[in-house]
Amino acid sequence: MKKKKIVALLAAAAMFVTMGTGCMTTKATDGTGSESGNGKTEITFYTYNLSVASHKEAAQKLIDDFNAQSDTVHVTGVAADVMSLQTKIQSDYAAGQTFDVVQCALNQVGYYVENYKLPSFEDVAGQDAFDAHMEGFAENAKTLGQYSDGKTYVLPYTFSTPMLYYNADLFRKAGLDPDAPIETWEDVKKCGTALKAAGYEGVQVTATTATGDYDWLIQAMIYSNGGDVMNADHTEVTFNDPNTVGAIQTWQDLVKSGAHTNYTDTEAQEAFLAGNQGMLVTPSAFESGLISAAESGGWELRAVGFPSFGEKEAIPTNSGSGLCIMSSDPEKQKAAWEFIKYVTSAEGYTTITSMMGYLPLRPAIVDDEKYLKSWAEEHPFVRTNLSQLNRLHRWEGFPGMNGGQISTLLNQTVTKCIFSDCDVAAEMQTLQDQAQDLMP
Amino acid sequence: MSELALSALPDLSGVSVRQQSATKRILKRITPFLFVAPALILVLFWVYRPLVQTFGLSTQMWNMNPNVEPVSVGLQNFQYIFTHPDFAQAVWNTLLYILLMLPFSVILPMAIAIATNRLGSRAKNIYRAIFFLPMIMPPVACSAVWRWLMHPINGLFNHVLTSMGVVTEGIRFLSDENWVLLSIVLIAGWKMIGFSTLMFSAGLTGIDPSYYEAASVDGHKKWYQTLTITLPLLSPTIMLMLMMSVLMTAQWTFAYIDVLTQGGPAGASTNVYYLLWTYGFKNFNSGLSSAAAVVFFIGFGILALIFTRINRKVAFYDN
Repeated sequence: MKKKKIVALLAAAAMFVTMGTGCMTTKATDGTGSESGNGKTEITFYTYNLSVASHKEAAQKLIDDFNAQSDTVHVTGVAADVMSLQTKIQSDYAAGQTFDVVQCALNQVGYYVENYKLPSFEDVAGQDAFDAHMEGFAENAKTLGQYSDGKTYVLPYTFSTPMLYYNADLFRKAGLDPDAPIETWEDVKKCGTALKAAGYEGVQVTATTATGDYDWLIQAMIYSNGGDVMNADHTEVTFNDPNTVGAIQTWQDLVKSGAHTNYTDTEAQEAFLAGNQGMLVTPSAFESGLISAAESGGWELRAVGFPSFGEKEAIPTNSGSGLCIMSSDPEKQKAAWEFIKYVTSAEGYTTITSMMGYLPLRPAIVDDEKYLKSWAEEHPFVRTNLSQLNRLHRWEGFPGMNGGQISTLLNQTVTKCIFSDCDVAAEMQTLQDQAQDLMP
Repeated sequence: MSELALSALPDLSGVSVRQQSATKRILKRITPFLFVAPALILVLFWVYRPLVQTFGLSTQMWNMNPNVEPVSVGLQNFQYIFTHPDFAQAVWNTLLYILLMLPFSVILPMAIAIATNRLGSRAKNIYRAIFFLPMIMPPVACSAVWRWLMHPINGLFNHVLTSMGVVTEGIRFLSDENWVLLSIVLIAGWKMIGFSTLMFSAGLTGIDPSYYEAASVDGHKKWYQTLTITLPLLSPTIMLMLMMSVLMTAQWTFAYIDVLTQGGPAGASTNVYYLLWTYGFKNFNSGLSSAAAVVFFIGFGILALIFTRINRKVAFYDN
């Protein structure tokens, strides 16, 4: 009796195993591009915008528009999940089934170059062709995808800076003047407390969970207070720096005062979309979703730049992504460059900015009648967002094999600090010690 | 296993053994093993090989990139996990998860199964279908619905609670460190009730109805029959579900943690598997992840051993 059971169990186990391998092989065939019947080079494009509801249409439009105008290349989009993007890229790479063009996070350039054998754009396109393409590209964005050898391995693509969005109608209901400037965290605190007193919710800086445990918005808080996460030569973390600690203390104080909600970031976003939350500090990547929620909810959405710590100038970081070429086949690399050239052209950014809310990394197109001028008149936020580009700080990735671990620890410690009344300086010192151990 | 397979062969004792060549004899011997070989090889390849590899990886530092050579670091990974608080917190949370999950995986389903057992077959099927429905819904979709229900201001739960005056400010089910673990248990438990009920129902079907008839003839009340007939005869199922619940709760809760809280706030809802996953597939630190896996493997292995021991003593099989 018992033995029969064991045999049955083994048989069941074998079935599961074969089912598993079955799935894997089908996946593998999906992942590889091939020559299509009409002689075009087939390439695949791995992008998370295809899996974001408010970006999907635009991401597909970019691919379709490119395919319609290209005689030599055909692109197939593959949706990636933004929360597990890096996980997927790494596991696909380890399994030997990468996609040809991959959208990747911009803090990881060093990691990508060192681990994935990427070709540089200068090599694929040729220096002159590359330089010609980069003409008119935002100065501060140009260098973000460069490695220490001075070559560009990741081309900045969809890209946003954090902004403070607010619900002007809730401001009026709470007796606040929506036209009064909101420039500093002190202003934010005042508005948040007033909103709370009127029975609404104040602000939430969606920096800890909504962005898939990334730390770029946490870094923006730290840089804006004059702090830093690492020393200049990236050998030591500086989480116990007084300005770094100060930034988190100000943030904790916002929460303690009730001006800042202590929800998960997704909950805060939902509350803001539903018109119950007054302010939301979030990347402009979510802007198209916010605009449509405000329209359907019948309230007035406004936006200002990332708030500053007192007199210090606010220093936003960049969220978002770049494109890299992961194919090792020269023909596909050329095809990938054709596609990347198209999506980062003036035409590409017209679609990206107007339909998704990311920054036009060719800033001149907001003054060009052919592209975004009329759109920018209806959407004045884009100029605020563009002006932040001039003060941009690179979103730093921590070096070495344990770099990701340090990001996770930073995120966890900051979450703990701001949502409890713990001693920030002590917590940050503990983080400093733990993280320093993980530095190479 | 080998005995079973051998006994299934025709009895060869009557045939003259000397006439068979040595190779034939060997062939006869290994035939049963050849039958199970495909399954065995797959299990060895997919289960035991990675297990052995995990032990190897736990002494190395590697980011799972084929272009990068792993660095041997000895027992450093173990030292890291035992000296850092996130590991202890994950273990503690896992114990809480296991404890809080038991009502949903054993007590409630057993009660439901027993209560619906004597209903007419149509009513019984409808009831059980209702309880089983959550089981077949995809976890991510469930998570989204539960997140809306549990939303601190827009959610239905808080709407009801505040309008009834139970609370003045909405409960932050998923962001309050005192609530988040309970909330995850509630969601995972709601999902597990169906499966467990099904298991208990199957266990009940196996009980010979003549015991109840005899007890009724003797004039025993229903509750007394449940206590003295149903529960003892159900003991193998109870033990099985108890063991499954203890060993698998960390896996059952994983999807909800990943979608709803990512282990937060500040690790308050993480569990051992989520931690392991974070180490391995978020931070690409296969060494730490494997070291943690080795520790959990040993821990859960001991638990499983204890369970089989208890099982032999407690469970009552009616043959």
